[in-house]
Amino acid sequence: MSKLTRTLALLASIAVVSTAFVACGGGTESTTSTPAANNTASTADNAAEGGDAAAEGGDAAAEGGDASTAEGGDASGELTAGNVSLPDTDDTLTIVCWTDADLQNMFDVYANHSDAKVIYQQCGGNGSEASTQYATYLNSGDDVDLFVAEAGWILNYINDDSMSAPLESLGITTADYADAYQYTVEIGTDNNGVLKAASWQAAAGGYAYNTTLAEQYLGVTSADDMQAKISDWDKFAATAEELKTASEGKVTMAATIGGLWQAFSTAKNAAWVNGTAIQTDVAKEFTDMIKGYVDNGYVNPNVEQWTTDWTNVGLQGETLGYFYSTWCLGEGAQLEQNGGTDGNWNIVVGPQEFFWGGSWLCVSPNCNTATEASKFVKAFTTDASIMEEYALYSGDFTNNKVAMDKIVADGSNSNPLLGGQDQFAVLSEVAAGIKMSDSITKYDQNLKDTFLDTLKKNIDSDTDTIISTFTTQALADNPDLTA
Amino acid sequence: MASAAQSRIKSISYAKYGYMFIAPFFLVYCFFQIWPLIYTFILSFKGNQANNAEWVGFDNYSQILFGTGSSQGAAGVHEEFARALGNTFVLWFGNFIPQILLSLLLAVWFTDAKVKLPGKGFFKIVMYMPNIITAASVAALYVNLFGDSKYYFVNSTLMKLGFIAESDPIQFVAGPTASKVMVMFIQTWLWFGNTMIMLMSGIMGISPSLFEAADIDGANSTQQFFKITLPLLQPIMVYTLVTSMIGGLQMFDLPYLYHNGANFSKQLETVAVYIYYNFNKGTVDQASYGFAGAASIIIFAITAVLGSITFYMNRDKDAIAKKKQRKKAEKQMKAKMKQGGLSI
Amino acid sequence: MSTKSQYGEVKDDYHKKIMAKSIAILVVCIILTLICLVPIYILIVNSTHSSNDLAQNPSRFFFGTHLGDNLKTLMNNLPADASKTAKRVAAQYSSTFSVGKGYLNSLIIAGCSTLLTVFFSAMTAYGLTVYEFKLNSAAYTFIIGVMMIPVQVSSAGFVRFMYSLKLINSFIPLIVPAIAAPAVIFFMVSYMKSSFPLEIVEAARIDGCTEFRTFVTIAIPMMKPAIAVQAIFAFVSNWNNYYTQNMILKNADYSTVPIMVSKVLAFDKNIDNGVNYLCVTLSILPIVVVYFILSKFIIAGVALGGVKE
Repeated sequence: MSKLTRTLALLASIAVVSTAFVACGGGTESTTSTPAANNTASTADNAAEGGDAAAEGGDAAAEGGDASTAEGGDASGELTAGNVSLPDTDDTLTIVCWTDADLQNMFDVYANHSDAKVIYQQCGGNGSEASTQYATYLNSGDDVDLFVAEAGWILNYINDDSMSAPLESLGITTADYADAYQYTVEIGTDNNGVLKAASWQAAAGGYAYNTTLAEQYLGVTSADDMQAKISDWDKFAATAEELKTASEGKVTMAATIGGLWQAFSTAKNAAWVNGTAIQTDVAKEFTDMIKGYVDNGYVNPNVEQWTTDWTNVGLQGETLGYFYSTWCLGEGAQLEQNGGTDGNWNIVVGPQEFFWGGSWLCVSPNCNTATEASKFVKAFTTDASIMEEYALYSGDFTNNKVAMDKIVADGSNSNPLLGGQDQFAVLSEVAAGIKMSDSITKYDQNLKDTFLDTLKKNIDSDTDTIISTFTTQALADNPDLTA
Repeated sequence: MASAAQSRIKSISYAKYGYMFIAPFFLVYCFFQIWPLIYTFILSFKGNQANNAEWVGFDNYSQILFGTGSSQGAAGVHEEFARALGNTFVLWFGNFIPQILLSLLLAVWFTDAKVKLPGKGFFKIVMYMPNIITAASVAALYVNLFGDSKYYFVNSTLMKLGFIAESDPIQFVAGPTASKVMVMFIQTWLWFGNTMIMLMSGIMGISPSLFEAADIDGANSTQQFFKITLPLLQPIMVYTLVTSMIGGLQMFDLPYLYHNGANFSKQLETVAVYIYYNFNKGTVDQASYGFAGAASIIIFAITAVLGSITFYMNRDKDAIAKKKQRKKAEKQMKAKMKQGGLSI
Repeated sequence: MSTKSQYGEVKDDYHKKIMAKSIAILVVCIILTLICLVPIYILIVNSTHSSNDLAQNPSRFFFGTHLGDNLKTLMNNLPADASKTAKRVAAQYSSTFSVGKGYLNSLIIAGCSTLLTVFFSAMTAYGLTVYEFKLNSAAYTFIIGVMMIPVQVSSAGFVRFMYSLKLINSFIPLIVPAIAAPAVIFFMVSYMKSSFPLEIVEAARIDGCTEFRTFVTIAIPMMKPAIAVQAIFAFVSNWNNYYTQNMILKNADYSTVPIMVSKVLAFDKNIDNGVNYLCVTLSILPIVVVYFILSKFIIAGVALGGVKE
């Protein structure tokens, strides 16, 4: 009995003490101990990959040797930092993101140039989730120096001074972006004309198709022939019909409605919102088109973008092609996962020049690793030689005309997944034509998600019903807006 | 007999200890529950998105409840909330009915002394098991097994067995009706074991002599069930009903996570999901705290009504009855005393 | 045809009926058992297959050979010559579903919450039963009154409040509120009323025991059965709590098991189905194992009137 008594008394006192302990422990955890605990995410992987990354980095650097026009980076490859006004009290650069694959690629390249400790913190499993979780994360007091934001919702974050600091606080100004694709700079500038975000990529997109299936069902043997067959939406539909007949309905023309929407809508440069009014013209046009596609079996409405089904239709040869952004085309990225390992895929511009997403680096007002942050941002958004190296390593179309023109001119990129094709050559004109800054609004992510969801759920209804269902839901989600 | 110590103790007031013992509860409750509730109440009178600092009075309530108010989206707001409330009740009802029927049946069987059932303990353990599994994991499990295409276990198996055509998989996750049925099924799967055990303890509380007497009178088991078990189980059944209803109002994890793709499924949106979604939409300028607050307060009101029903039923009926009796006896006594003394 | 044999036939008939009924019930129970167990079994089976195998043939009923590979991916412990794709997948899964970290965080939160819940609920219940004071019945009525309030109704205010206190990404908002658990108090009060003799308290006072010591050394041991039942339910419900944890914990370092599962479910790239299944398996494993160890006790606890969430 007395033994039991003592045990329970001990238990009770542990309870009381642990409250106090947790109270103190929690406090320190959220400030100082975080960086140490964070390392696991990236350093191990860096170490594992350092070997081959260094090898590739080596010849990239050799090629980049004559790129003396590069701003920021000098020939020796030394990184420079701007004139920072934020504190420098921490030695670990923490980047909050949901795009861990991109960050991994960056870290691999960065490791060739710097010994700085850079880690990422994954926040949110996908872009939509990240857009809702960042706000809480950035205000938690946990260490965050930079964060990655996506085109669909970046305006919410750069127009809120409690979330983002000007790039000037890292000593980076608009003048550093002379060689960048201008739309990235315009989007990164907030309502007051302050530069708040810089992008490392110009997210041009194209239509990647399975060459084996194309030859089997359409008799197409070259990328130029394919492009000729789908150079506008009418031809695209006609080819889809041909494909359907030839394959007896087994193969669809495009994997998802989501992909088609991206290709269809972005080239139109029509904003979702004008003033406070929701614009539905493009959505209406698209709905008309896609209802025909679904009726005719050109696309399977039940395949959801970015899911296992989406991957499987490519792997199992149930779709001829995907609409991809450049960040899908590198080694280990979506193209490869969706069946691109045999090199029997090609990329073409498709019915319309389009672009997809794009991510920006933003500065947290709580940044306490300013010099390292400045170096990192400069390296990936202004330094032509590092950006060239990154483009070759990741397959991503980087935000530097000099670097990209050089790769195309040198012919230094040949993508084994695309049978040796250079995706940059195909997409460089698309990138030059991106005018996203005219049409981007802070409601984009929500409105796009709501529209596509409504469309898929009501695909059998008529167009007007779909559009009005969408408008009703969109207005309910965004009381700021009007019809 | 009272010793000095005892009388000393009797003279000390211990009331202050009472307050000391219950103080932590009340402090913490006020800090973490009452104040947030008041805060939510305040938020329900403030605007949404960019207008989040503005005082808007009952605007949020009128938008949610009647579809009229300042924003053009009022009708949509009302529609969405009504749909969420409807979904909540449909999903709750659709899992409560099969759950209570199944549980009742099993509880009667398991408590029936005449039925020789081997492994009763084992069945109870296995049937209760789903209840302790994390709801988030359960959602992940079912999404992965019941995916919408032939690349998932259930559809693929059904195709192999020839029940459905390969080109026509069942939309267990995205289908508007099928997904609701699935959530009802999963909820039943999660809870029937729990309800069964509660009902069993209720049945075992019924005096066995009642069943013996019924046996002697020649009542069969169906008659016994409807004439004895069910009427006597009524209090515990009503209790289960109300707690389950309140639990149903909180239904979140499963409807929120049971989807494919980036966003939660609107066709499964319950009130709890509605609240969460509206206050958790990102930066302060994106979130609709006003709607979330107003919806919370409405749910609070509904819960209060349901809660007072349980409270009323949970009263110590014996104590109340005894009190009444005592009062009656006192009255009678007084009356008799007035009449002129007791007849002994 | 004697009456005797007729009686025997009736008896036979009766036995047969009972037998038939028992068999029917047994069959139903076996079916229900299968419904409860098969999803879990398939889950475990699938976590031993590779993603490619599952894409080729998703309806697999028997164990595969890729459990080790899937585990290696999840632990980010790939051989150096693994493909970049495999490394990306491994990096994504290991940084999101970090098994040890998840178990530890969940254990800290559920463990501390449980201790606080049972200790302070017992304390409050003791205060309400043992002492007579002016606000006693008012306090008890209040506790019963708030027992049913769902956590969702105050969550909008709760999050904004925690936001302003800078308690996001902290365990405090998940642990400290556990002190106030009205339903547990309600249960403990009823338990004390029925099986805690107040004379003991007086006897302790005569022996010169202080009030708090009386509670800790005498009342708590006597309330052991009630505490144990409530501790188990508190632990399970805190371990499984996704709603509150997901609102507060945004940093992957503090992720708990339910949050990790939901994040794995939300992946939009580098998806590996085998590893997905493995994550779900690992997320339910500890609680299922503990359940089977304590099952008899837990079921008795539910019958006692365990709190239904």
